[in-house]
Amino acid sequence: MAYEEGFSIEKNSVEGAKMSASQDRATTANLTYDELAGLKAERELVLLIGPAHPGSGHMKIKVWMDGDIIQRVDPDIGFVHRTTEKLSENRLYIKAIPIVERVMLPDTINANLAYVIALERLLGIEPTPRAQYLRTLTSEINRITSHLYGIGLYGIFLGSSTVYMWAFADREPLIDLLEEISGARITYSYIIPGGVRWDLPAGFKERAETVLQYMEARLKDYEKIWVKNPVVMDRTEGVGIVSKSDAIRLGITGPNLRASGVDYDTRRAKPYAAYPNLDFNVPTFSEGDCYARLLQRVEEIEQSIRIIRQVLKDIPDGRIISDDIYSKMNPLQKRMYEMKHRVMFPAYMASMRPAAGRSTASVEAGRGEIFFYLVSNGDKVPFRFRWVTPSFLNLPFFTHVMVGQHLADLPAIYGSSDYFPPEADR
Amino acid sequence: MTGRKNNRIRGHVDALATGFKYLAEPNRMTLNYPDESMNLKDNYRGFFAVKDKTCIGCSLCEIVCPPKAISMLDLTDAGGKKKKRPMIDWGLCIFCYFCVDICPTDAFQTSQVHDKAFYSETEYQTVHGEPMQYPYDYSKRPDYKEIYESFHDVAPDDPSAGSKKVVPKFDKKRGIKYEHPGQP
Amino acid sequence: MIQILSLLVSVSLLSFIEYILPPILYIIVFPGLIVVLLMLFFMIWLERKVAAKTQLRFGPLYVSKRFGGVIQTVADLIRFSFQEFIIPAGADVFAYIQAPGLLMAFGLLPLIFIPVGPYYANIFPANYSLLIVIPLIIITPIYVILLGWASDNKFSFVGSIREAFLVISYEIPLILSILSMILLYGSVNAINGVSFQIGRGIPGIVLNPIAAFLFLVVMIRTTGRFPFEISEAESEVVMGPYTEYSALFFGIGMSLPYIELYSFSLLFSVLFLGGWWPIVPSAAAASGVVGGLLLPGLVVFIKALIVMAFLVFLRAVYPRYRIDQAITVGWDQALYLGFAAVALSIALVWSGLV
Repeated sequence: MAYEEGFSIEKNSVEGAKMSASQDRATTANLTYDELAGLKAERELVLLIGPAHPGSGHMKIKVWMDGDIIQRVDPDIGFVHRTTEKLSENRLYIKAIPIVERVMLPDTINANLAYVIALERLLGIEPTPRAQYLRTLTSEINRITSHLYGIGLYGIFLGSSTVYMWAFADREPLIDLLEEISGARITYSYIIPGGVRWDLPAGFKERAETVLQYMEARLKDYEKIWVKNPVVMDRTEGVGIVSKSDAIRLGITGPNLRASGVDYDTRRAKPYAAYPNLDFNVPTFSEGDCYARLLQRVEEIEQSIRIIRQVLKDIPDGRIISDDIYSKMNPLQKRMYEMKHRVMFPAYMASMRPAAGRSTASVEAGRGEIFFYLVSNGDKVPFRFRWVTPSFLNLPFFTHVMVGQHLADLPAIYGSSDYFPPEADR
Repeated sequence: MTGRKNNRIRGHVDALATGFKYLAEPNRMTLNYPDESMNLKDNYRGFFAVKDKTCIGCSLCEIVCPPKAISMLDLTDAGGKKKKRPMIDWGLCIFCYFCVDICPTDAFQTSQVHDKAFYSETEYQTVHGEPMQYPYDYSKRPDYKEIYESFHDVAPDDPSAGSKKVVPKFDKKRGIKYEHPGQP
Repeated sequence: MIQILSLLVSVSLLSFIEYILPPILYIIVFPGLIVVLLMLFFMIWLERKVAAKTQLRFGPLYVSKRFGGVIQTVADLIRFSFQEFIIPAGADVFAYIQAPGLLMAFGLLPLIFIPVGPYYANIFPANYSLLIVIPLIIITPIYVILLGWASDNKFSFVGSIREAFLVISYEIPLILSILSMILLYGSVNAINGVSFQIGRGIPGIVLNPIAAFLFLVVMIRTTGRFPFEISEAESEVVMGPYTEYSALFFGIGMSLPYIELYSFSLLFSVLFLGGWWPIVPSAAAASGVVGGLLLPGLVVFIKALIVMAFLVFLRAVYPRYRIDQAITVGWDQALYLGFAAVALSIALVWSGLV
């Protein structure tokens, strides 16, 4: 039905031409409701953007247009729904770690961290300080790659392939850093209940510092070719404005929320990992337009660089796995840990049975707040596994913010919100 | 970077100049894959095999495997002894290394081999790194050393076989430089 | 007797070649079809290569690796020629098929009327060359609109509507820009324009920089370069008017902007960059094919090539404008610039400075 309704071009139809001519003669006052609806439908153009459209991502965006102005947007999500919740409810607790990673590939550490924090609260395990710092370190490196991913995709949405390529190329050194730690490039599965799986390799601090200096130098070039590019400013300034009250009312989260002037960051509001010990700013912008959201991401990259430096300076020595887990290892595994600083799993990992209860966890991921809710009934698998991903909360960008804007602003707003369909669909 | 006020002409000039800068001094990040391939780091999570003598058949790897890529086979030794050994389906494996880490006897031999092409679906399924055949003839199993070498000597089915091996080096100016280890 | 006859034949043959060869050369070889084709191959490759270099990558490389993948475009052409040509069920078949051909024809036509050498005057009536070139350049987008209309696709439709709006908003600045140069040179004959520039020793870009800048902007807009790549904006309307096209017809649609770019750049180098200066053929040399057509033509071509290279480089720097912003630029700033360019020309002529 959707394909027929509202499609106004009837160039080959003689009847259509006659009808519209007769309608021109009639005054709207004499028309019935159906006829009025027909008139409106003639003005309307319904565009079905996606799921096989270069600017849609894994979703279908149904747009009702009047001329070049968007009247209504209906985002049709769920094309990449992976039933992570139901999958996880039928598996051991430990097996959910790779599953939650897979829905948000640019941001896997944060998904992993959120789940593990919820699980630790259920188990009553507290990670060691060094593990906390390592979690913060990987999380911040991952946040930079996630923001670069967002900036890059925003580039291709507005037509600048250069920024797209730059951002994706500059993820490479950061991904390599994480590869040094964890041995994988995207799906790290790095964080486990009680701590992390691998310690920092030798000489990591120097190499990380090199990469951070490179990133800082590159951000200046980003500013010249992209952020301060007059065409970019024309495209983004004053477009898709979300006021402070609207941002709160619509439940927008993450950098998008802060770009509207709300000073809320889960890292500060509900501290976790090593964040309480670290000194960092939460940048905010009052404008709430696409340009503010773009600047917000650049500023957060700078803050993340600052956090990484602090972590590398302040990281305490000690075990990377809590005593609860360490004591459950067999002698060979303990010896392996002392030799290689690599955590072997005790058999307990495959048979975790948290006491009946419920726990929640919030983590500031690249795109916003991940919320986890776990319910255990004392079984080996979660009784209820529920999580809310930031992109899902950012859906109002389609339904509310795009309305009244031009068609060409659709990719501008979409890209600025850094909406990631697999993450929203879970 | 927060300032919004910007001179338009300055902005255009800056953007064009930055473009020209990179055009004049291209900082290429591409790895020309089939010609060059990366020397993966020591801790890279690549293919792995089971050391038959160390494995005790406890099934923990099967239990912990998230994508259920590991299943235990009931095998009979040459001496008629019954054993359980893990069979790995590489089509399902996600290289999370949960099995490697949970093994109480550290029976998994890991490698940095990442590029491996399979010619048929049955080749995915391996016991001790050896393609699984039905019925599995246990007496013909290769010993552990051969298995390990089979991962490192993957010339026939490695797409990057014959390529120049390069090592990524971090660089303050260029981000990543690919260096040939043979070069000084 | 035989000697006389053979002499007569040879003389007539010579004169025949002398009279017939140059137009054939002009249309078939340079600046006509063959050079257009080579330019297309080279330009599309150059665009991809320049963008790739700026974007930290290699660009086309593996087709003829030794030469940096320069025949990649030929490979693409072969691929296009073997693809299936699909006509959508709801398309207006006649218009759908004829539009790309007409587009190509009108894209190529302006080339005949852009002089690339003084010898040109002997071949075609050049007295009104600029007056003929303007409508020929402006008429091309009408067939782009036809493409989108015939495709029966909403994205094609939106794209062609965008093209229509942009054409209308930028043709007046284009005409004003060329008009200011016509006023300055006192002639609608482009050859006179070049001799004016050579005679004064000042290229048109120095004489009237406003007109040159305006022409450049209109050139970027008309050929769909960034930041005015609006009617084909990929993330908005897929491929604009060309969305439904496939195979060679898509190839035509893709290469048309480059052909337009070529004719615009030739016109730019003739009008603003001093044409075939510094080669000033003598009257005797100007009547020969080499001295009158090929050598000056080469100079004009190299100048045009530099202009084209700059314009394709813009892809690596700019994103695209929104349609209403581009239209505003056309009706607002560009229009005022056009009037300013005309005023500057009038002032220059009036004051007798040139």
